[in-house]
Amino acid sequence: MAIILDNGCYTCKVGFSNETRPRLMLNSIIKAKSERRTSFISNQINDCKDLSGIFYLLPLQKGFLIDWDLERQIWDYIFSKENLNLNVEFQEHNIVITEPHFNFTPVRKSMAEVVFEEFQFKGFYTTAASTLSSRSYLRERNRHYCVVIDSGFSFTHVVPYCHDRKLARAVRRIDVGGKLITNHMKDLISYRQLNVMDETYVVNQLKEGACFVSKDFFADMELAKNSDRKVSCKYVLPDFQNIKQGYIQDDKVESSLFSFDTYYIVKLKNERFTVPEVLFNPSYIGRINQIGISEAIVNALDATPREIQPLLYKNIILTGGNAKLPGFKERIFNDVRSITNADFDVQIFSPEDPVTYAWECGAKEVRDGALDNLFVSRKEYEEFGYNICRNRFF
Amino acid sequence: MSKSSKLPNEKRESSRIKDADGRRVLDDSSRRRRLSRYLEYLEKDNHNDDPQANLNIPSKRYLPFHDLEATSVSSKKKKKAKGHDNVQKRLRKNFAALLEENIQQNGDSDEPNYVTATAPPPKYPTRKFCHVCGFPSNYICVTCGAKYCSIKCLRIHQDTRCLKWTV
Ligand SMILES: [Zn+2]
Ligand SMILES: [Zn+2]
Repeated sequence: MAIILDNGCYTCKVGFSNETRPRLMLNSIIKAKSERRTSFISNQINDCKDLSGIFYLLPLQKGFLIDWDLERQIWDYIFSKENLNLNVEFQEHNIVITEPHFNFTPVRKSMAEVVFEEFQFKGFYTTAASTLSSRSYLRERNRHYCVVIDSGFSFTHVVPYCHDRKLARAVRRIDVGGKLITNHMKDLISYRQLNVMDETYVVNQLKEGACFVSKDFFADMELAKNSDRKVSCKYVLPDFQNIKQGYIQDDKVESSLFSFDTYYIVKLKNERFTVPEVLFNPSYIGRINQIGISEAIVNALDATPREIQPLLYKNIILTGGNAKLPGFKERIFNDVRSITNADFDVQIFSPEDPVTYAWECGAKEVRDGALDNLFVSRKEYEEFGYNICRNRFF
Repeated sequence: MSKSSKLPNEKRESSRIKDADGRRVLDDSSRRRRLSRYLEYLEKDNHNDDPQANLNIPSKRYLPFHDLEATSVSSKKKKKAKGHDNVQKRLRKNFAALLEENIQQNGDSDEPNYVTATAPPPKYPTRKFCHVCGFPSNYICVTCGAKYCSIKCLRIHQDTRCLKWTV
């Protein structure tokens, strides 16, 4: 048995390998305007009633673990007895922790230090979340090639795999993720309607509840011009008194709001789909000079050996929080289908929960003993130091 | 006016040159600066200020992982404390510094890395959208380079963000 920690920039997915689902824990320390005398570590924020104007302290910057003062406090909390029911000493356990692709050596070195010297785990293995996804996906199906799209909080990666090796030369990173989408939405609503610049939490919820990926961007633009209900909507913001969670307003039950003194509604005309469009066209709206996800898939696979390309196109896996946006899979399929060679059979696998998929795969790999030879034990670390990690983790 | 007295003046004016009609216009480099300011904004974790910036506040109580150690062997505690120091010293670096160091280390090496993985720029010229209403736009504000779609949106733009925009 081992602990699996998919250490995402926004949430940690954590649990034991014999469990089927991980716990989702915020990877941040949070301060709230409403409670000035305390700060909340990770999911302690659930005790906070008023989530307006909350302030996040994140240990990861652009996907890289930078602030160990913060992360140590968060890990202390997520490994604490109230979260993981540890009935054995943690020194008895191995741990798998995810890291970004092309992690920087000093970041990885300090990770090994913290894991062995402070938390004193028995053994440690680190790899990218998408590597866990690909390993289990391929082993379960007895296949050899796949490409994992991981679109998370900080960035989006396209990563082709051959067996359990990533084809590092073909990896593509787009600097668009959930944070950028939320910030962009915040800016547009604040400029066009109502100042929500301090309301990251609220706008993030709005994004998750109201945004979708357009299948036909310019057709939807035409619909939005006439405020067609297929694409436009009114969204009621939470006030944390009467309305705990924001929601799309159903015109028929509008009157129920009239009993409240004040409530805020934002009209979403084209924002519902122009904002997530930045994943597909970073240059349209995000003003980032990079190709989007669909083109990046084709661009990455163009950089792989010709003979395996058909196999890669048949095994495209969608993971990460942005894969939950309605329309994400259809859009990628349509785009890739239209850009790439007509002979390729394009097949997309979208797991039931794209956020926890990498964790579930990691747990399966541990259960089946597939990572047994990859763990570095505390003994080995004490004897050989960081070098042993460098040689074993790839 | 002598040349030497003209120079400082030019410098002050450099970001806002005047076009033929005498309107103030932003030059290319300040337009680019503006764009990169927006990109910086998009990367921010918070837009508001830390509500407790000047207070040292304890976190809520919980049973920490470390307290689960039944015995408090003093030598172990010492070792742990040392670990803390090492990590802190090594990682007083932000992302930009780590990336810079990574680029230097890679040097001329042909190994794939963070930089080589960056998605390339698009092949085709990008579409343009009105920053006021979000719909496709055909016009560019001569003053600041922002895109707009109609006289109505141009008016709103001039009254609000044109040259004032400071996210
Ligand atoms: Zn407009
Ligand atoms: Zn302007």
